[in-house]
Amino acid sequence: MLMNKRNIQHLYLRGGFGINSNKLKELEDKATKDVVKELFDDSENYIPLKIDLSELRIMVIDDNKKNSEKTAKKEAKMRLQKLNRQKTKELNYAWIDRLKQPRSILKEKMTLFWANVFVCQDNNNIFHLQQYNNTLRKFALGNFKDFVKAIAKEPSMSKYLNNRQNVKESPNENFARELMELFTLGVGNYSERDIKAAARAFTGWSFKFNGDFYLRENKHDFGQKTFFGKTGNFDGEEIIDIILEQKQCARFICTKIYYYFVNPKPNEKHIEELANFFYEDYDIKKLMHYIFSSDWFYNDENIGVKIKSPIELLVGIQTIVPVEFQKKQQLYNLQKLMGQILLNPPNVAGWKGNKSWIDANTLMLRLKLSAILLNNAIIDIEEKGEFEDSFDDYYKIQKKQNNYIKTIVSWNVFESEYGILDLPELKEVLIVAEMDKDTNAFIENLKFSSNKDFCIQLMSIPEYQLC
Amino acid sequence: MERRDFLKQSSLASSLFFVPSFVKAFENVAIETLGFKKLVIIQLSGGNDGLNTIVPYTNDIYYKSRPSLALPKQTLLKVTDEIGFNSNMAPLKNLFDKGYLTIINNVGYPNPDRSHFRATDIWHTASDSNEYLSTGWLGRYIEKYGKMPYSGIELDDSLSLIMKGEFINGIATKNPSVLFRNIQTPYFEKVLHHQSDVHLSEHNLGYLYKTMVEAKSSAKYIYETTKTFQSTFDYPNNPFGKQLKTTAEFINSNLDTKVYYASMGGFDTHAVQENKQNKLLQTYSEAIAMFVQDLEKNNTFKDTLILTFSEFGRRVKENAAKGTDHGAANNVFIIGKNLKSPGFYNDAPNLTNLDSNGDIKYTIDFRTIYASILENWLNANHSTILNKSFDTLSFI
Repeated sequence: MLMNKRNIQHLYLRGGFGINSNKLKELEDKATKDVVKELFDDSENYIPLKIDLSELRIMVIDDNKKNSEKTAKKEAKMRLQKLNRQKTKELNYAWIDRLKQPRSILKEKMTLFWANVFVCQDNNNIFHLQQYNNTLRKFALGNFKDFVKAIAKEPSMSKYLNNRQNVKESPNENFARELMELFTLGVGNYSERDIKAAARAFTGWSFKFNGDFYLRENKHDFGQKTFFGKTGNFDGEEIIDIILEQKQCARFICTKIYYYFVNPKPNEKHIEELANFFYEDYDIKKLMHYIFSSDWFYNDENIGVKIKSPIELLVGIQTIVPVEFQKKQQLYNLQKLMGQILLNPPNVAGWKGNKSWIDANTLMLRLKLSAILLNNAIIDIEEKGEFEDSFDDYYKIQKKQNNYIKTIVSWNVFESEYGILDLPELKEVLIVAEMDKDTNAFIENLKFSSNKDFCIQLMSIPEYQLC
Repeated sequence: MERRDFLKQSSLASSLFFVPSFVKAFENVAIETLGFKKLVIIQLSGGNDGLNTIVPYTNDIYYKSRPSLALPKQTLLKVTDEIGFNSNMAPLKNLFDKGYLTIINNVGYPNPDRSHFRATDIWHTASDSNEYLSTGWLGRYIEKYGKMPYSGIELDDSLSLIMKGEFINGIATKNPSVLFRNIQTPYFEKVLHHQSDVHLSEHNLGYLYKTMVEAKSSAKYIYETTKTFQSTFDYPNNPFGKQLKTTAEFINSNLDTKVYYASMGGFDTHAVQENKQNKLLQTYSEAIAMFVQDLEKNNTFKDTLILTFSEFGRRVKENAAKGTDHGAANNVFIIGKNLKSPGFYNDAPNLTNLDSNGDIKYTIDFRTIYASILENWLNANHSTILNKSFDTLSFI
């Protein structure tokens, strides 16, 4: 089968954040298997995301030295916390920058997906958080069984779901419960007894200061457990093996994959087909390859029907017109106003996605986003203060905010690639959703001024909110 | 079913389908009136220290736990033999004396969470502490009983979880003319201007158009209904006073909005708490008292109920930095004209029976308060909104 433009766009919107015009032309009329192969080949290498943490390394060492003096230690701790929060934002910006690069895009899209499955937050240790983020990246197209085991050993996860407090004398069930409820099986597919047994198997799982896993043997329950009808002296890894023996686990993950990559409206037949395939060896890469090679993935009912997440929207615009934020904090604020701050999920269940991104206020902002980023439109929306803020700071955030988002827009890059397109071609590149007939008529009758303006206009219609 | 097929088959559609501009028609449809009762919810964001707000001045444990923070008996505004208001809350005590205030003590829920974010989510969604819901209880109320975004207004620029429903959400604004301006942007306006079609929400694209139409008509309705109405009262000149002033203008201009939500920041007092909290309590009480006065003057106070909560209380024992850390159960204020049990609804916290963190244990589940308000004030079925059945209390 040869791929037409629309199918290639669909593939790149779901497996990435869109495709630029030159690449689209290059791939047009190639065989599906070749186009899909190229997408996977680009993501073959694992390139960890790293920011400069040398400043913090020095502080950590300093902090240890000052053990003698109590107040100095406390001050150092506060400085360290502040720096950690600042570095978390830097990692957020670095991650978004990474998403704008066309190389390795499938792996990055998968990483973003897994970050919303294995949901985790760590505001206190940027080393652990960065390591966690890279574990998601490393296994994003790997084996799911290895992936779950690696996640269970991550310091950030251990802290987030209290597994460090999980000890033989008094097991803490938090990790065991979420492992089954949110990471592998879904609610209702295990018993309270299973949770108790699993919690015991993860007792004593801990980590060293450098982030390496280790088992605190004196806190680990080596005794016999009965889990999903099996009895043995199971440890955490064996618990994960048994969970993955349940067909439900493959079904659960494939349901999430389908919702995210194919269609928010489930098709039980296709999901079951995927679950059967995934259950064979839990190979994520093979699963994704299977999906992107299926005929039904390219059915009309699956194209342009998903509401872009705030990150997909932000990055998607920049795939067409490169934008640099002069004040990175404004990039952070935009994420906050649209309801998705990377590395800062609302809770362990993650972002719900699709329609839940949209309310009257977010939609007004989203429809105006391209004009704000590309055309100096005023943003008449103020953000809320933080819980920790004093009364003055809580409201000051709103006052001091400038109405303009300061960006440097590389229109020359846009012009060199899109300047030569005629209007129907430009529309074809930007919009995959089926157009509303009235909006289409409106767009067709617009008085043309330039491709640049037309681009902003197209990005301002509801259809652009879909991918 | 396809959106357009649905339209063709629907008898309702046949009459609407030929209306030239659907948007216009939509705006003219009389919105189902919900009665006059309004609910205003205020969150003291950050975790207010309830013990230094409503003070048990005969309790030795209180004084022992807080050598530097406990408020001396003689400074308090005493209301009973055991309890006094923080001296910065004279305006609130005045409401108490008039019988306009019910204080419910020890409000919380099982397995309390001490993270601001999570605890706020729990209060906003009315969930259990280990349950994750993506809709807020006011959002679900709007969805079931209101049907339009302006049925619920948050006094801010972005919407909190409390106001989010599954398919219908409240709307956030602290300045209707700014909101109105935001929908006046060229593309928003023009795209909608050309719409002739009814948008049903089955498809995502239809949902986007529907949300646009609702955003526009809500923003327009709020702006046009309230633009001529200006409160003549002299509210304290601070952002919280402004939020309440705007709320009063909304209520007094007869805007058909049922629920309002505003959050007041600054209560996370880990260090040097005393002056900070005193100032906050003063700001809160002065603004609330002015708000009540404004509503009374306009004869709308009898139809307005004000609920004030904080996502958690603070630890009984003070910390080394002359502040307090995150705690658990806390007091909740109910303000209204015809309260069934003005004064104290229940006993003050039992400081001899704290939880393992040294925090106050809950005796009243916050959701029983929600249930009571839904049933006895908003005339709604509480178990469909709260997803469970709770006992109701008899404060209204």
